[in-house]
Amino acid sequence: MSTSGPNPPGPPQVKSLNCPGCGAALTLRSLSQAVTVVCDHCHSILDAQDPRLTILQKFKAAVDEDPPLIPLGTRGKIRGTDYEAVGFQRRTIHVDGVPYSWHEYVLFNPYKGFRYLTEYNGHWNDVSILRSLPDVSPGSSSLAYLGETYKHFQTANAATTFVLGEFPWQVRVGEPADVSDYVSPPRVISSEKTGKEVTWSMGEYIAGRDIWKAFQLQGEPPVPIGVYENQPSPLTANVKAVWTLVGMFLVLLLVLLIGVYSMAHEEQVFEQSFEFNTNTPGEASFVTDIFELKGHTSDVELATNAQLDNRWIYLNYALINQDTGHAYDFGREISYYHGYDEDGSWSEGGTRDSVALPSVPPGNYYLRIEPESDPSRGTIYYTVTLRRDVPQASFFGLAVLALLLPAGLLTWRSLNFEHLRWAESDYGGAPDDGSLLNTGENVVDSFKGSTSGDDE
Amino acid sequence: MIRSLFLIYGLAVLATLSVAEYRGWSLDSVDEVKNVPRSVRDNPGSYRSVYGYYHHYTGGK
Repeated sequence: MSTSGPNPPGPPQVKSLNCPGCGAALTLRSLSQAVTVVCDHCHSILDAQDPRLTILQKFKAAVDEDPPLIPLGTRGKIRGTDYEAVGFQRRTIHVDGVPYSWHEYVLFNPYKGFRYLTEYNGHWNDVSILRSLPDVSPGSSSLAYLGETYKHFQTANAATTFVLGEFPWQVRVGEPADVSDYVSPPRVISSEKTGKEVTWSMGEYIAGRDIWKAFQLQGEPPVPIGVYENQPSPLTANVKAVWTLVGMFLVLLLVLLIGVYSMAHEEQVFEQSFEFNTNTPGEASFVTDIFELKGHTSDVELATNAQLDNRWIYLNYALINQDTGHAYDFGREISYYHGYDEDGSWSEGGTRDSVALPSVPPGNYYLRIEPESDPSRGTIYYTVTLRRDVPQASFFGLAVLALLLPAGLLTWRSLNFEHLRWAESDYGGAPDDGSLLNTGENVVDSFKGSTSGDDE
Repeated sequence: MIRSLFLIYGLAVLATLSVAEYRGWSLDSVDEVKNVPRSVRDNPGSYRSVYGYYHHYTGGK
């Protein structure tokens, strides 16, 4: 904002004049407050302080080259105060030869003075002039204002490329200014240097729909494109809260883990050793004695220990309810091989196996076991053990994953939002460079800054 | 909004875990067979497991 601030307020007045360039009627809405006024017919910039309206500059532009989204003369309520849109300008910077333009609206209230709105790609800021200087440390890439740190985002040379209406400063098309932005979402502090004069202003991000509502504009506001420099992240503020909840849930999970393991019966209901003579042909299957599963429906862990040495054994198991005929049918293979080769010793497999049968109701059961192995290889000794109500640690692992994954995803999306923000800064790379965090320090700092503030 | 949703989600995870542990859920898969005749106790060979005649690993390195 290139202004030195409003003069003392006066009563609301509207004055009609004629353009000395084309004779078209002019309306002065801010009267003595206006320094320059632009004829929207012939695009003459006139000296509003001069009763003769001396022409200061004429610029070429189509009549409807850049119509303001908020028509001049429209009134709306910003932060409880009525303002009228009295001026409009387009400003342009060039980055790597590419022009980027944004729009600035001059708002006027005869008692409150001037206020500004800026718009870029559907992103709006409510801007006012700072009355005190921010604390800028020499050589630092940040500044402090009212206890808040703002990080430097971008410095560029901006030129005014289109103007309409009234301005409380000597506006000129083509006038350059060195513009620097420092961000602390949702706020941005900007400095504008024209000649020896530096003006500081603060903008606060405001949703387009709020502008439309305030000025009762027709239609819908432009859909915001991309992430703007001081746009508050819709996700980042929730990251800290979600991770706090994750921590709370992990503590509860630990309590649950201790509770489950301390209350689980892990009751051994059956154990017996068997031998399988592979030299004996014929039917190998057999059944065990009946044993009782007590208590509530629970899992049953069946563990097999086999004495194997470069051999395998496959066991067809069926846990059969003697009373109902309901059976749990499964097969387990155990193999253990070891030896030496040119790489040294090796081993494969093991001699122990366990399986958890899900949700087995109480009752009287027996096991049908049918062993298989290579024939004529002697006797294999193995022991079968059954325990009921055995805690399943895998579920706790899954629960930890289930809690961490959404929080991780939220954090990733939040960091990605910051990446997109800083990709547009003087420090960021192109957003499509495939690197999520190439803006490293700024992204992490923004993330910390956002999460250390409000939680909602 | 996100915090509330995550609170509900986290409580649901813990509740599901509690039910899984109490009811004895398992990640291991077994086949359930109904109406196995009582005669299996006297003639175990009459029962045919779906896991029978498995093509066994005969390896080692």
